[in-house]
Amino acid sequence: MEELAIEVKNVSISYKTLKRISLKKTLFSFKKPKREEKKVLEDVSFNVKKGEIVGIIGKNGCGKSTLLRAIAGIISLDKGEIDLKNNNVSLLALRVGFNEDITGYDNIFLSGMLLGIDKNVIKERIDEIIEFSELKDDIYKQLKTYSSGMRLKLAFSISVVFETDIILIDEVLSVGDIKFKEKSYNKMKELIMDKDRTVLIVSHDLNTLSELCDRVIWLSDKKIKEMGETKKVIEDYRNYFAEEK
Amino acid sequence: MKIDLVFLEVIKIKRFINDLKKYSSYALFSAKAELKAEVSSSYLNWIWWILEPICMMFIYIFVVEIVFRSKEPNFPVFVFIGITTWNYFDKMIMASVRLIKAKKNIITNVYLPKYILVLEKSFIYSFKAFISFGIILVLMILFKVKYTFYLLLFVPYFLLLYIITFGICCILMHFGTYIEDLNNVSTIMLKFLLYFSGIFYNIETKIPKPFNEILLKLNPIAFIINSFRKIFLYSQMADFLVLALWYIVGIAICYIGIKLVYKYEKNYIKVV
Repeated sequence: MEELAIEVKNVSISYKTLKRISLKKTLFSFKKPKREEKKVLEDVSFNVKKGEIVGIIGKNGCGKSTLLRAIAGIISLDKGEIDLKNNNVSLLALRVGFNEDITGYDNIFLSGMLLGIDKNVIKERIDEIIEFSELKDDIYKQLKTYSSGMRLKLAFSISVVFETDIILIDEVLSVGDIKFKEKSYNKMKELIMDKDRTVLIVSHDLNTLSELCDRVIWLSDKKIKEMGETKKVIEDYRNYFAEEK
Repeated sequence: MKIDLVFLEVIKIKRFINDLKKYSSYALFSAKAELKAEVSSSYLNWIWWILEPICMMFIYIFVVEIVFRSKEPNFPVFVFIGITTWNYFDKMIMASVRLIKAKKNIITNVYLPKYILVLEKSFIYSFKAFISFGIILVLMILFKVKYTFYLLLFVPYFLLLYIITFGICCILMHFGTYIEDLNNVSTIMLKFLLYFSGIFYNIETKIPKPFNEILLKLNPIAFIINSFRKIFLYSQMADFLVLALWYIVGIAICYIGIKLVYKYEKNYIKVV
């Protein structure tokens, strides 16, 4: 039997009891405020083998991002269990640890440290990040002076240089202008293709997913609707929406 | 059964210590970076850290000595001790109430024990408080107040202030995440507390007996400010019994606060 990297067992997540309340509403209304219950995932189970690349597809708001957050360990589960077999994990999103008031350079340190990387390791790799980001001297400026494109480049560079055993990618396969896009896509591909690395990708770009993934999970209505070989699941997914039209 | 519970507690405390080791360098670096940013983004940069408490001191001197014609020996030093202690407490509280919202970027992308956010803030404001206490030492020379060995008692008292503030901040950070109006409530509560902490008057002499004694024992901030004055200005011994009792309460508040934050921290992301 092959080694597992991620084990998701009967996971349910809801946002029910946790609506923000205001004192006025609770003190001055006779009716008790309604507790909204919003289930996002219900009894989801699957395994991912070490080195596997798994895509996750589904409509907007079907719980894809929540699932990634749950695996990254930043959101609480109502039920179930997620076992990462002691692998370290990073959620590749575009704003890790960003503090507007400090320089891009310091932000690299903050992001790295938040990912649990030693300060000395960050020092060794920081030139690589700066070079990849193409920001040059702008790296010493405060983040609030950056354009949105520059932010994306920096965030992306930080994420791809600090590698972890498991990478969770939420819609960010490539960023930036045309030139950077190609470069970032290639870098991402290189990262994903590493045979020891386990990757989960959430994306709406079905063509890219077909190219990269070993398996695909289709989430629909809080549950896994289909899981299996990339080609088949994506075909079913396309047909499903073609029929709906 | 009981042994199991104790065992579980030990595991939790171990986790707290491990997290502290793992993330304290982050908190320190982040605090430094924020202080650096504060310096580089204003014209008078670090001078503000000195200027702000000094200006506050002049305002209080004006109000108390000229408007109310009250007399207190070495009043500038006296009031500066109050301002420094109060500023630390006040700013920590106000920062904590909205801390989770302010750090949304971090919370939605990576796991970190949320009390580390309070730790980072405490580094920033402790640093500023130390500058302020440095100014007090300079003022003491100007007003010819002698340095004595009592100054060493500064350490246990500041530590007490730190512990109590930290615990309260953890609790407020937790509730502030869910309750929108907590920000307004804490502003009012702080204003209220401000006047009962003896920042610019001496509780011992200005409030009639026995209320002064009671206030000094029940309000930790008043107790700490009064004790700082004793050790800086009057060369008096500290009240060790009250100190020890507040240590116990402070550690209890920290325990509750950190436990609360650990228990619910992964739910915060659902409301920010």
